[in-house]
Formats: sequence, structure tokens, C-alpha cells
Amino acid sequence: MRSWLTAHGQACERAIKRLISQPVGTALSVLVIGIAIALPLGLYALFTNVTAAAGRVNTDPNINVYLALNASEAEARDIEKRLRAMPGVQSVRFVSREAALAQMKQVANLADLLASLEYNPLPHALSIQPRSSDPESLAALRKDFSALPKVEYVVMDFEWAQKLKRFASFAERMVLLLGLVLALAVVFVTGNTIRLQILTQKDEIEVSQLIGATKRFVRRPFMYFGAIQGLLAGLVALAAVMGFIAWAGGEVQALTASYGAEFGLRSPSLETGLVVALSAGLLGWLGAFISVWIYLHTAEKS
Amino acid sequence: MIAFSNTVKRYANGFEALKGISLTIEKSEIVAITGRSGAGKSTLLKLAAGIEQASQGTVMVNGQNVSQLKEAGLAVMRRNLGLVFQDHKLLFDRNVFENVALPLSIAAFSRGEIGKRVRAALDKVGLLNREKSNPIALSGGEQQRLCIARAIVNRPSILIADEPTGNLDQEYADTIMTLFKSFNQVGVTVLLSTHDEAGIAQLNCRRIALDNGKLAT
Repeated sequence: MRSWLTAHGQACERAIKRLISQPVGTALSVLVIGIAIALPLGLYALFTNVTAAAGRVNTDPNINVYLALNASEAEARDIEKRLRAMPGVQSVRFVSREAALAQMKQVANLADLLASLEYNPLPHALSIQPRSSDPESLAALRKDFSALPKVEYVVMDFEWAQKLKRFASFAERMVLLLGLVLALAVVFVTGNTIRLQILTQKDEIEVSQLIGATKRFVRRPFMYFGAIQGLLAGLVALAAVMGFIAWAGGEVQALTASYGAEFGLRSPSLETGLVVALSAGLLGWLGAFISVWIYLHTAEKS
Repeated sequence: MIAFSNTVKRYANGFEALKGISLTIEKSEIVAITGRSGAGKSTLLKLAAGIEQASQGTVMVNGQNVSQLKEAGLAVMRRNLGLVFQDHKLLFDRNVFENVALPLSIAAFSRGEIGKRVRAALDKVGLLNREKSNPIALSGGEQQRLCIARAIVNRPSILIADEPTGNLDQEYADTIMTLFKSFNQVGVTVLLSTHDEAGIAQLNCRRIALDNGKLAT
């Protein structure tokens, strides 16, 4: 156990020395890998922010039934009763045309414009919550509601929210795909860096093997090299994304606020940061392993 | 002990470097392999060191059949051998100390133990005052002594040297042969290939002559 730890300590020390001995090369490789990681990480951060915002939107099915303008309140109340009696309906809320106008004046700050109207243009409305969100049941309900007297329009206003959810789900898959592609890129970039390292240390590998080094011994410092390089690149990517969010977050918040929405960009959590840095280290380790394996395998054959 | 039994080495291009060699080198013996270039001397030493594998027959080193050893077994076996190469195989991006320390790093010795053993090995070959030098700054004889220091730092039971005096003038060659003799006197088995008749006379050892892949005597 002690010699195992000594061997790993020495390999790690050699890897760090190699990284330090080529500061420019190391910095360039770390930057290239860091940028490759920053892209999916940035998209992931954006995606989680959008998903969190979408989560705050009510996507429960809701059907609004608008009556004709000439429908009286008594007729509207009668329709409300008929709706309540339907088996597919869970609840019904009646919104009178007067209440709708008052609400509109408050919410949309359109008091002056609405006050100038000669008559109330809003109809009586009924807001219905169905028992099922199954599309077929909803379509059947829409047909039944439309057949009622004095019903002008039937609107299902949750469809956009469902579309947003579907888009978020699609975006999640795209981020995952991009992440996988760029993870492969990280493996290849690290592999290529290690390949160049191997070429500069070809003599050392040959001599080491002649005097008793196992393949594991040869591989170890390169794998530490790849892992440390990956870890540093992961930290660079995190710093880049957090820096961007800090720089642009305020502007995004101000922009969305001007549209009456509340949306702010948040930096990746500490947990996410750790996962990203460790994953990048793991990818670097994998790239190094593949590169050294190919070299040793080819050298052995030749 | 090293034992070759009806050993044949055939390369991929069909060339037979060794054609059924059988010989035994006893523990603590010193043996000089002689012969013209292409006689099979280097191949014989490579087989003993596990660098090449026999095509037929067996090669036993310290009771182990080299042909049957897997990668890890071969590596462990080589750590118990001291290998000296004609072209030294030194690392010029490391200093003298670090070159000698390499086998000990491979065997995962502690830093303290590495320091002690490396200095002891350098002292034996007379290079203690050059430990911080780059090997490129050493003369041919010093480079060969450095290679010997690296070979003995692990305290091997067998030293295998391929033409250790090949590129050296007589004075340096004598120094190298004296070193081999001193290691043999403390029980190390020495197997070397050489053209150096004066060196063989100095060692006063058994000579095995090879001719075209076969034993000549």
C-alpha cells in the first residue's frame, strides 16, 4: 500500500512538473479544452434558468368559455349550472363582464383607454378546470361547450405553456447531445496533447520499460497529466460561464423586466461546478489513457 | 543462474539469430560472450533480459522461464537484473542523479532511500562529484560508468552488459572491466558480450564463443 501511494505520489509530481515546465503549451491546451467545456456548460446554465422560469408558469389545463355580448347574467348563470353538471368538469368560475373590465383596468394599466369606451366590450366568461388533461377528453369538452347556447368562443389557453415545456424538453436533449459531442472533443484534444507529450518522452519510456517499468508505470504520469489538465480546463469553463452571467445577468433581468416578466440568470451551483470540474478531469484522464494505450500497443507490435 | 536450453531465435523476416543454443551460467559466475558481428551475442543477451522472446526452447533466469512470464512478471524480473547497453541509453533531459534514480522510482522506493542508494552507486563508479551534471557533459567512459551505476543501483543479482567497452579507448575499457570484476567478487553474476580480448584476459573468466548463431566452442 505504501509503495502504491509512493508510486502515485511520484507520478503526480512528475505530471505537475511537466505541466509547469511548459507554461505556454499548458495554458493553451487548458484554454482550448476550457472553451470546449464552457459552450455546453453555458447552454446548460441558460437551459436551467429557462426551465426554472417555465416551472413558475401554470400549465394546468384551463378552458375559458366566452359568451356572446348579448348574453344576460341570468343566461350566463344558467350556462354555469349546466357546465357544473357535466361529468368532465371539475370546477367552474364565473367572471362577469363588469368584473373582467375592472380587472383589466388594474392589470394592464389601460384605465384611460377603457374609460373612453362608450360600452363594455368584454363578454361574460366562464373559467373551467377539467377533470382530465387528456387531449381527447379536452377536445370532447371543447365540442360540448361550443354547442351550448350563447357560447361565442372556447379557448384553451394552456397550450402555449405546454409548448414551452415541450421546447424545454427538446432543448434539454440538444444540450445533452452538444455536451456529449464536446466531451468527445475534450477526450480527443487531451489525447492529442498527451500524444505529443509521449513523443517528447519516447526515450524515457523505452529506457524505463527496459529496466523494469510496467505499462501501468509508464501510463500513470500521463494520466495524471490529462486529469489535471482536464480539471484546470473545467475550472476555466466554470469561471468563463460565471463571468458571463455576472456580466450579462443584470442586462437580461432589466430587459425581461421591461416586458413585465421576472427572469434573472443564475450561476451554476457549487454542486454543478464540482461535477463539471471532476467530469472534465475524468475526460482528461480518459483521453490520456486512450492515447498512451494506443502508443504502447503500437510500440509493442512494432 | 541463467540457462539456455536448445534455444532458437527466429525473427519475423525469417532470419535465425540463434540456432539451438544450450548453455548454463552459474550463480556468481562471470562469462564473456565473444564472436563476430551478427554471431548472435546481442540476441542471446536480449533473451536473457527478456527483451526478446525465444522462438523455440527455453531461457531460465533465476529459476523462472522467461518465455512464460507476462508483462508484469517480466518487469519485475528486469528490476532484478542490471542492464548495461553499448549506447548507454541515458536520458539527456535528466541529470546524473536522476538517471541513476530511475530504476528506484520504477520500484517505488522512498525519496530518502533513493538518495542513499543513488549516491552509493555513483560513489562505486567514481561519479559522486558529478551527480548534478547533465550526462551530455560526461565523457564516453563516464557515460558508460553512469550506465553501470544505473544498472547496479537496484542491487541486482545478475548484470548483463552488451559490448560495454565497444566505444571506449583501452584506459576507459580497463576501468569498466575492473568495475565488473569488483561486482562479481561480491557475488553478482556477470554476463557480457565483448570484442575486448585484453578485457577478457583482465577478467580471467569463462569465454563462450558464438559463430553464426551456434556455440563455437
